[in-house]
Amino acid sequence: MRGNRAHNEIERETGSGTDLWSVIIAPGIWAVHFLVCYVAAAIFCEKFGRDADLGGIRLTVIGATLIALLGIGWSTIRLWRVRGRSLTDDDFEYEHNTPEERHRFLSHVALMLCVLSAVAVLYVTIPMLYLTTCR
Amino acid sequence: MTVDKDAETAQLQRVWDNPKGWRALSDVNNSVIGLWYIATAFAFMLFGGVLALIIRVQLFVPDNTLISAELYNQTFTLHGTVMMFLFAVPIFEAVAILILPGMLGARDLPFPRLSAFGYWCYLIGGVFVCGSIFFNAAPDAGWFMYPPLSTEQSGIGADIWLLGLSFIEVASIAAAVELIVGVLKCRAPGMHINLTPLYGWYVLVVGAMILFAFPPLIAGDILFEMERLLGWPFFDVTRGGDPILWQHLFWIFGHPEVYIIFLPAIALLAMIVPTFAQRPITGYSWIVLSALGTGFLSFGLWVHHMFTTGLPSISLGFFSAASEAVAIPTGIQIFAFIATVMLGSVVRSVPMLFCLGALAVFIIGGLTGVMVAVAPFDFQVHDTYFIVAHLHYTLIGGMLFPVMAGICYYYPLIMGKPLSRKLGIWSFWLMFIGFNTAFLPMHLTGMLGMPRRVFTYGADRGWTELNMLSSVGAFVFAAGFLLLAWDCLRPKKREPQVKRNVWNAGTLEWAARYGDTWGMRSIPEVNSRYPLWDDPDFMRKIDAGEGLLADAQEGRRETLVTSTLDARPVQVLRVGGPDWLPMIAAIGLGAVFIFMTFKLWLLTAAGGVLFLVAVLRWLWVGTAEIPEKDSKHIGQGIVLPLYVSGTRSTGWWAMFITMTGDLTAFLALLFGYFFFWTIHPNFPPVGIEGPGWFWPLVAGLLMGLSWGSTLAARFVNGSGKPATARLLLVLGMLTAILGGLALMAGPWTTGLDPTSHAYPAIVWALVVWIVAHLATGVLMQGYCFARSLYKKMTPTYDADLWNVTLFWHFVGFCGVLCALVIGAFPLLT
Amino acid sequence: MLHPAGEDAAAVANLFWVMAAGTVVIWLIIMGITVYAVLGKRRPKTERFADRFILVGGVAFPTITLAALLIFGLALLPDWVRAEPPDLRIHVTAEQYWWRVAYEGPGGESIQSANEIHLPVDSTVEFVLTSTDVIHSFWIPSLGGKMDVIPGRINLWRLRPTDEGIFRGVCAEFCGPSHALMAFPVVVHSADNFAAWREGEAASGIAQGNEAFIATGCGACHTVRGTAASGQVGPDLTHFASRRTMGAGTMPISAENLARWLIDPDHLKPDVRMPGYETLSEDDRAALVSYLMALK
Repeated sequence: MRGNRAHNEIERETGSGTDLWSVIIAPGIWAVHFLVCYVAAAIFCEKFGRDADLGGIRLTVIGATLIALLGIGWSTIRLWRVRGRSLTDDDFEYEHNTPEERHRFLSHVALMLCVLSAVAVLYVTIPMLYLTTCR
Repeated sequence: MTVDKDAETAQLQRVWDNPKGWRALSDVNNSVIGLWYIATAFAFMLFGGVLALIIRVQLFVPDNTLISAELYNQTFTLHGTVMMFLFAVPIFEAVAILILPGMLGARDLPFPRLSAFGYWCYLIGGVFVCGSIFFNAAPDAGWFMYPPLSTEQSGIGADIWLLGLSFIEVASIAAAVELIVGVLKCRAPGMHINLTPLYGWYVLVVGAMILFAFPPLIAGDILFEMERLLGWPFFDVTRGGDPILWQHLFWIFGHPEVYIIFLPAIALLAMIVPTFAQRPITGYSWIVLSALGTGFLSFGLWVHHMFTTGLPSISLGFFSAASEAVAIPTGIQIFAFIATVMLGSVVRSVPMLFCLGALAVFIIGGLTGVMVAVAPFDFQVHDTYFIVAHLHYTLIGGMLFPVMAGICYYYPLIMGKPLSRKLGIWSFWLMFIGFNTAFLPMHLTGMLGMPRRVFTYGADRGWTELNMLSSVGAFVFAAGFLLLAWDCLRPKKREPQVKRNVWNAGTLEWAARYGDTWGMRSIPEVNSRYPLWDDPDFMRKIDAGEGLLADAQEGRRETLVTSTLDARPVQVLRVGGPDWLPMIAAIGLGAVFIFMTFKLWLLTAAGGVLFLVAVLRWLWVGTAEIPEKDSKHIGQGIVLPLYVSGTRSTGWWAMFITMTGDLTAFLALLFGYFFFWTIHPNFPPVGIEGPGWFWPLVAGLLMGLSWGSTLAARFVNGSGKPATARLLLVLGMLTAILGGLALMAGPWTTGLDPTSHAYPAIVWALVVWIVAHLATGVLMQGYCFARSLYKKMTPTYDADLWNVTLFWHFVGFCGVLCALVIGAFPLLT
Repeated sequence: MLHPAGEDAAAVANLFWVMAAGTVVIWLIIMGITVYAVLGKRRPKTERFADRFILVGGVAFPTITLAALLIFGLALLPDWVRAEPPDLRIHVTAEQYWWRVAYEGPGGESIQSANEIHLPVDSTVEFVLTSTDVIHSFWIPSLGGKMDVIPGRINLWRLRPTDEGIFRGVCAEFCGPSHALMAFPVVVHSADNFAAWREGEAASGIAQGNEAFIATGCGACHTVRGTAASGQVGPDLTHFASRRTMGAGTMPISAENLARWLIDPDHLKPDVRMPGYETLSEDDRAALVSYLMALK
């Protein structure tokens, strides 16, 4: 997938860790978080009845949210460094024809996906703050 | 030198020439298949449109008796089915097959015969499904076919729906494989991933979405058909099944599908808007972000179609939240388009008019979507005309209008003639006004309490005037559409051919000359997003053959394969030319599905054999061919191999992508297993014994062994010992066969009767799935054995074995997982 | 649902008006900007502006608005366990294409009825919903949202009517050819009137004049409590003539409609389970009609 062996010099400046797989880390975390929350709650409510108190599940969801946000945060910091190293002017267009530019571009997209994923994770946690039972 | 160039061009022409006369049907070139695909999709769309008009006539007045309730039900079911499965999704594949190679600077897609196969599947399946209404045998349970109505009370229509559409889903997955590999591996040299046209990005995202969205429906279809044909009670509550399982599987497919339809259409806007703003798109990375983000989030929405099924509030909350979140990336792309227009200076044109219309309509659909995502509001409007209005606003604003814009935009490129500006403007306004007249009132009709799918309503309901208005609007809308269709189809012999790049666009597809099926004279080096704007000399260089791969010396159709991220050339790929086998294979597979509907088992088997023979011959003769030389000069001093295997080859990626989809289908079946575990207090139910642990253990070991021997065969073959590799392949075949038998021995020896309860049924379904894959795996091992024997596969040229090993990675994993679940899970509960 | 007569419907109607207003405003603003972008003369020139524009319009604004909507909207989700037990419980079983209704009486007894629902005003009513054949959906638009009725599952749904009057309920999930003809009147009484009505509904039906009814075999499917007719297949007819509609909302009750129904119900209501009695003599039919019309 990656591979710009011919451009070792540029690699040192910006790193080269960002490929298509690492772009989808943050939304992947969202997806796992979402599934964990939904599946845990659905099984809990089916097995313990509709009047069951959500207490345990709420902790699970909040825990999952914290872990997800930590993961996304870690990814964000990593990408922010790339941005700091490579974004010397206000060029958001990433139009140059070099592997370095490609790397900066993917890092930028990945960074914005981190933000979007964090928002989505928080959104999914909102209902948990209200509801107390499986009803 | 000039003579040379002419001779080279003539050679190129000969190699890429379309077959003439009746042989034209054997064509596989993307420019021809794409056109057939589009024409077929619009033909089905017209058919679906006629059905819609019948619906509107029936509802024009209260208590109408124009058509019976039964016919009405067939009509609306088929309307939804045709528009979703036979128009909205295929039109994406059609347009992408037609224009994507040009956009990326490729001569053709990497697997042209696969496109052709997909097209024939689509055509046969589509005609089969549509034709049913003329025999009063059309599906009649709504386009999402909820059991038990569809399983227990529908006639043959339900089978036609299921089998016909399963067949078409095959075409969609084929197209997804083709397009993903196309975008990742067939870009012009220098077209780094950050320079790829946005359309390519969208196609990539949508292709990936298809791989995760369609397989759950295929799994659902299998369960559904097993219930209908064999009486396995997956959805029958009296025997431990549950109709809600179908709803989950259907909507895990169904909601992403909405975005599978929407994103490629929006992608057309991303190509059109910059052209008419006469400047590069603003916020390229924003748009890529939003496409990716939408792709992910769209998988967290499916339960919002099931808000009223009585799920726990907390589940509704999660899905409400995700449904709101998906509006954010959707908003981003709309704002990026507006910003582009703002920064540029707009050239007024018909495509741009359709773009603006799309925006106006789609935003309403998006905003009502945000409304219905709030669960308590959905409790009121779910299954009413409010939803009908909402979904038509999103689909027509988000898909039809952009596609119309795309048709007007690309028509001169494809057909070489202009469309009438005057007719285009008329058509737009008729469609726009007609559409809003028809669907805006429906919001209100729904709010006044009119449920969807009613064949009649009483005069005292107060819905009469609104329905009349909607019906009138529908006809105006249809008139606008027909006007444009007429403009496209009318003979234009007298009109002059349009000049090259008529809109002064900046992207690569406009560099093609009308009539050149091979795309470009030579494959250019690309170093910007809008090469035609940034390099005024660009077209001349292509025509002069200064790019790469300027001719077809060996008389073979060739295209360039480049690396995924930075598009460095890695291989010259020889692609297939005209061939009857894809069509024959599609006919064979079609026969399987069609005759199965009528339970004609002998003919079904004959179709299966025809399919198998055609596919094997296709593979044997036409793939992984050992070239006459290792490598070739493609110009500018670059020498590229003609044959690669393993992760660098397109075939390996195609297998990887296909098997990802296949794995998703298996996981969907496993979801079924655990779903039943969730809803039953005792699972396995009291009185039914599971398959035990012994046979699944044996099966798991044997399948693991077969997997291992295949992998070992690849290593051994690679190190120059083909004879030992053949031995290992035989061992693999034997262990796979024994593994399959052992897997069946589990439920067989404990007497699990799949018709008695959902538990044995789902265990058998998993086993049957794995056994079918093992059989395919054995066939593949045998295929490699034969290839090796006939020296068509050697230690150096071993792509077949790489791909088969990859297949076995997936099958081995699924097989062992299956053995663990059916064997070990019951011990835990 | 725009004229709410129940607590839930009113809350949702309010939510709707807020959201609808927001929708219109947002649409006008976006389209205004778009039209300006197309036609306007003064154009911003920098990429930086575009980036800010997308950030504010496409990210910040929707994130905040949608979070607010989510918080506001989800507060209306049912969370009934904390709430008190309902004032009245009604068991509704949906069948193709009619509604079996059983009221829980004051002493816990079950009062059978069909195709019409009576409710006391200002009381919380819990519906216990299930189906015997396919999926239906129980919806009284004026009172609140809908709930699917699914075979093999029991769904609970609560409504609280606030206005007296006669409303209309329907089946909202497609359930077969006569899906459009599966409705029921909903009568909301004052508490006293409801108690009186329920007492009347619990009483037996009359047997006088039921010879034709019994002889034709109607009792094999239908029940008239207190008589020999005790079939459980079709709707309970004990107080048939006191209802407002017949054929589950298909048409108003009248002698004329009833006669037509007896001859060919499938013509009036496609796929209905009841067979037609076109071979019945005029006299028998008249006797049947007059008996049924007497079942007040």
